[in-house]
Amino acid sequence: MLDMRDQPALQRSHGTARLGIVARHGRPALADLYQAGSAKVFLPRGGGAPDEAVFLNTSGGLTGGDRISFALTLAPGLRLTATTQTAERAYASPGPAAALDVDLTVGAGARLDWLPQETILFEGSHLRRTTRVSLAADATCLLSETLVLGRLAMGEDVTAARLLDRRSVLRDGRPVWSDAVTIDRESLACRTARASLGPARALAVIALIAPGAEDAAGALRPLLEAPDCETALSAWNGRLILRLTARDSWPLKRQMARLLGQLRGSALPRVWQMNGDIA
Amino acid sequence: MAMAAPWATIMATGIFISMAEDRLLLWQWLSPAFPIGAFAYSQGLEQPMATGAVRNIADVEAWVTTTLRFGSPRMDAIFLAQARAGADPDLLSDLLLSYATCPERETELLDQGRAFAALIGTITGKTVSIRPYPVAVGLATRALDVPTEEVLSLFLHGAAAQMISAATRFLPLGQSESQALLSRLAPLFTQLATEAATASLDDIATFTPGADMAAMRHETLEVRIFRT
Repeated sequence: MLDMRDQPALQRSHGTARLGIVARHGRPALADLYQAGSAKVFLPRGGGAPDEAVFLNTSGGLTGGDRISFALTLAPGLRLTATTQTAERAYASPGPAAALDVDLTVGAGARLDWLPQETILFEGSHLRRTTRVSLAADATCLLSETLVLGRLAMGEDVTAARLLDRRSVLRDGRPVWSDAVTIDRESLACRTARASLGPARALAVIALIAPGAEDAAGALRPLLEAPDCETALSAWNGRLILRLTARDSWPLKRQMARLLGQLRGSALPRVWQMNGDIA
Repeated sequence: MAMAAPWATIMATGIFISMAEDRLLLWQWLSPAFPIGAFAYSQGLEQPMATGAVRNIADVEAWVTTTLRFGSPRMDAIFLAQARAGADPDLLSDLLLSYATCPERETELLDQGRAFAALIGTITGKTVSIRPYPVAVGLATRALDVPTEEVLSLFLHGAAAQMISAATRFLPLGQSESQALLSRLAPLFTQLATEAATASLDDIATFTPGADMAAMRHETLEVRIFRT
């Protein structure tokens, strides 16, 4: 399958980046690294014990017919944060949808934080993204995803973007958390409804899927009130979910930084901070 | 003898008599009077009503229409259709519960499913497993010779009626304006039912961030009349 995807195609970006991290003498070590086409992955700490992986689509954005896939396997007992180098831009796609597949596997007792930077949907874009996380029985994952409709600072409106953004977390092969967002012309026409986005143009979800995840709710409740950002929290049965909406991406990212900082007990990925827009 | 009505001719065949009886059962099982406790749930609508964000019939219509078209009722309808069409009930139940946005949504799915299963078990004399409500309805109606679109239309009608009934009692709204709203939505139920009947599990996706967040916040609302 990989071979098929890796065939170069005219005017379309195809790419696969795959990373495997194993434990060597009790420390994380690089075991598998495969990169083809416009997908890359790098470890900011290079040869040392990696604790962060950064995926990148070098084509500079997604458009019709692009196929990018990112994969990561984390061995039992390890902890790793993975993110993306920059915001992902979905550009106008007259033809078929762009496809982005993210496949994450987390071993027993391990914890993976998958915190990609935001996805910006441009007018006329068409993206299908699938994020699949396979957890071993007692593994943990912390996920976030941020969607922004148009470049807000440019005052762009989006009326015709198409998105099917599916996330699923499986524990021992059984679905424990699923979330699927669909955006099309019809739902965008109704987006100012209160049950939809209301005045917001940016939205995000944060999910902690872990045994006892609900125990983290108490420390987060006092953080839910934030300027220019709506936040809702719910936690039950090994799941802690936060949903955020905001008119602009900056207050949304600032609020995400607070919440993720609390959930992680450590700083955000360095590439998030390098953008200079997170305090 | 009076001239036979057209339906009388149709009813002359055994097939259509059986279909008419099945249709009566369908109406009974999906009626608001079927005692699964539907009156106790608002699907998160109590939250914006309590904060004043949803105040009148126009607000209720916008809320109900948006959630039906892009939210959990549409998702539930697809699960119902899949269950009715023979998909694996264990898989469907796990998947539907994994899409729950909050514990109250899980409660809504399971408590109504449990009550429905108990009633169907008594009516049919068979053992009925407890499933999330839309899956339970899909399984129970496998035996009924009625079009899937009809099952889905009635199911969506019930989901809308549940929200409108909650609003009628909470805001309150006049009985006649509530009934007029429910009647206005009939074309939407049939349209969504037709789409859901042929949708696949890959078509399950929503875009109701406001309704999802309202359902999550409902659990910390200080005074609650509804369970969701």
